Amino acid sequence: MLFLAPMLVVLSVVAVFPVVYSFWISLFDLRLTRPRSVPFVWFDNYAQVFADPLFWTSVARTATFTVMAVAAIMVIATLMALLLNEEFRGRRILSAVLLVPWAIPYVADGLMWKWIYDSGYGALNGLLYQLDFIDKYMVWLGDTRKTLALIANAFVWKEVPLATILLLVTMKSIPADLYGAAKVDGANVWQRFVHVTLPALRPGFMLVMIYETMMAVRHFDLFFILTEGGPANASHVLAWDVYVETFRKLSFGTGAALAYLIALITFLLAFSIIRTMGKKL
Amino acid sequence: MSRIWTHPSSRRGFLRNSAAMGLAGTGLLGLANRAQAADTLNYYTWSAAVDTVKAHVAAFEKKYGIPVNYNNAPWAQFRDTMVTKFVGGAPVDVVWVSDSWLPEWADAGWLAPVDGYPEIMKYDADVDDFCNQSMKYKGHQYGLTYYSDYMAFFYDEEKLKKAGFSKPPETWEEVVAQSTKMKQAGISEYPLMLSMARETWLIEFLSALVYSHGGRFVDDAGNAVMADPAKGAQAAMQWVVDAVNKHKIVSPACVETGELNGLKAFSSGNHAFALIGRYRIRSLNDPAQSKIAGHVRQALMPAGPHGSHATVGWMRFHGMTAQAAKDRTRAANAAKLIEWFGGKADGKYQFQKMLFLDIGSGFGVKSLFQDPEIRAAYQKYSDIGMAEKQQSLAHKKDVVAPWFGEWDEVNGTAWQSAILGKSTVADALKTSAQSWTKLRKQG
Repeated sequence: MLFLAPMLVVLSVVAVFPVVYSFWISLFDLRLTRPRSVPFVWFDNYAQVFADPLFWTSVARTATFTVMAVAAIMVIATLMALLLNEEFRGRRILSAVLLVPWAIPYVADGLMWKWIYDSGYGALNGLLYQLDFIDKYMVWLGDTRKTLALIANAFVWKEVPLATILLLVTMKSIPADLYGAAKVDGANVWQRFVHVTLPALRPGFMLVMIYETMMAVRHFDLFFILTEGGPANASHVLAWDVYVETFRKLSFGTGAALAYLIALITFLLAFSIIRTMGKKL
Repeated sequence: MSRIWTHPSSRRGFLRNSAAMGLAGTGLLGLANRAQAADTLNYYTWSAAVDTVKAHVAAFEKKYGIPVNYNNAPWAQFRDTMVTKFVGGAPVDVVWVSDSWLPEWADAGWLAPVDGYPEIMKYDADVDDFCNQSMKYKGHQYGLTYYSDYMAFFYDEEKLKKAGFSKPPETWEEVVAQSTKMKQAGISEYPLMLSMARETWLIEFLSALVYSHGGRFVDDAGNAVMADPAKGAQAAMQWVVDAVNKHKIVSPACVETGELNGLKAFSSGNHAFALIGRYRIRSLNDPAQSKIAGHVRQALMPAGPHGSHATVGWMRFHGMTAQAAKDRTRAANAAKLIEWFGGKADGKYQFQKMLFLDIGSGFGVKSLFQDPEIRAAYQKYSDIGMAEKQQSLAHKKDVVAPWFGEWDEVNGTAWQSAILGKSTVADALKTSAQSWTKLRKQG
């Protein structure tokens, strides 16, 4: 126990204290720009957040973004893992290339996609125009119907490599005997995938789903770099709401309350995924 | 409702003690204390013209023998950084202040008025009115300007000639007429470049449009008038909405175009007209940075049907902190530093002139427009007479208040919603006005 004490002290200072202190802050009307009075308001900040229509639209947008992104990641990562699980020439090179997006920091990723999506000189418009898919440059991030999907696309591009690796590792652990037995029973490729591969991948799916859901719900970087919550609030998600409250309005009380709500939502989502998928393991 | 930290000193004390514990833990406390020698002035700026500032600080130290601890932080994080320092009681004596933050910082008790320092106040007579007004809050002046600028209307002379126009538009109606002709002639798909992305610049673009249409966001008494059809922002917003959706002379992508991207788009030759900060004229006419170099001219801001050539001006100034003002000697030294940068150093406006010659930034000192060196430098890339004339028509932002940051979020979204057809002009301005009134009541 004595040996653990230094680490416990460090953990208490860097992890436990900030968590408890931020909850404490969420009970005060703490605005840095009004430092003369910081009243204790119990759960008023939470009530204020719930009463704000923007909070509920942010929840809906976060849910839409999360569903779009996680579904796309699951499908693409599964296909990529299936491909990389096969032996073929150039597999190692493809594996290395696949990891590139994962190695790029989110800020660089965001700046790159901002350039790609730019309506005036973006690569996406250039490509589509060259291929004759469009006859004039399109508005991408500025079109509120497309904004969320385009940010989700940038998120998926970055997240697919890790999900692929996690699924590939699970795939590699499936005993070859199972496929052999299925073949003996006359199962074709599709049947082997549905009845052997998919059930065996469930632990990997669960892991990827929990991790990517948590990442998507809390994601901030791309929203900050690509749209700053706009246009017209089209990408005003929960994480952006926390940023605006805390760092633009400098309202630490409501910012902390919002952060706690995101943490609670993330926890509940992870819990329900484990309950639903974990039962079948 | 119980209260904690009802006095700033208790919370500051707590934060200071917490910081001290942290510093002690890392062995930095001694260093921090040494850095804050009794007579050292702590000077904070954002990371602009760092070398020029350093050189001028060195000259100040040499002249007065007062050591200066110079620090800088990026502009994007400067407000947060300084607020955190003020709340934590970090030593700050002289600081760069944006006009947008003045009410917030003054109300919080972080800045001290400089009315009692004649060596600072004497410069008011030589400073543009909008600059002087921007440094005042609740009857007190809080600093001395070192930089100011305004939103300008630029045009590509070559494109105008190509379209058969011999002079730039004088009204927003003429902007539509000339743009439509250029669009039809295939000279530019979206002749006017407007940056309407939600960023800190947005309020300057909007204010220029509103003022030139003869409107206001807020009246002199602080009441929200933006939704008033007669004297508000309706004419300006309707013009922008029509320009995007009806005349199609402004790209619908304007809502994702920030100031820098707008500058790039204009300098790459995509547009004939642009609303951009005046100081950008130097890079726009620089062949190394612009495809339309040599063709960019400034015209007076086009006027709306009931408006004028008015535009919005903004400024930055050196402010003295309340903690510096508490100590007589420190305050006197701080006033010297403020004058050295914002006023005359050795009998001349050295810093403002250096900033102009180095990076082309503007100044609020009227007499500098007559400086031969400045005139010669400016004439190389633009018409200084036009620059001066437009500056004399600049007004300060009327929305600067302690709640500006919160309101700005709502207002920016309202304008974007109207441009994108997600709300009517009247509803968008009503939303903006309601937000202002609500925040004002909260105080």
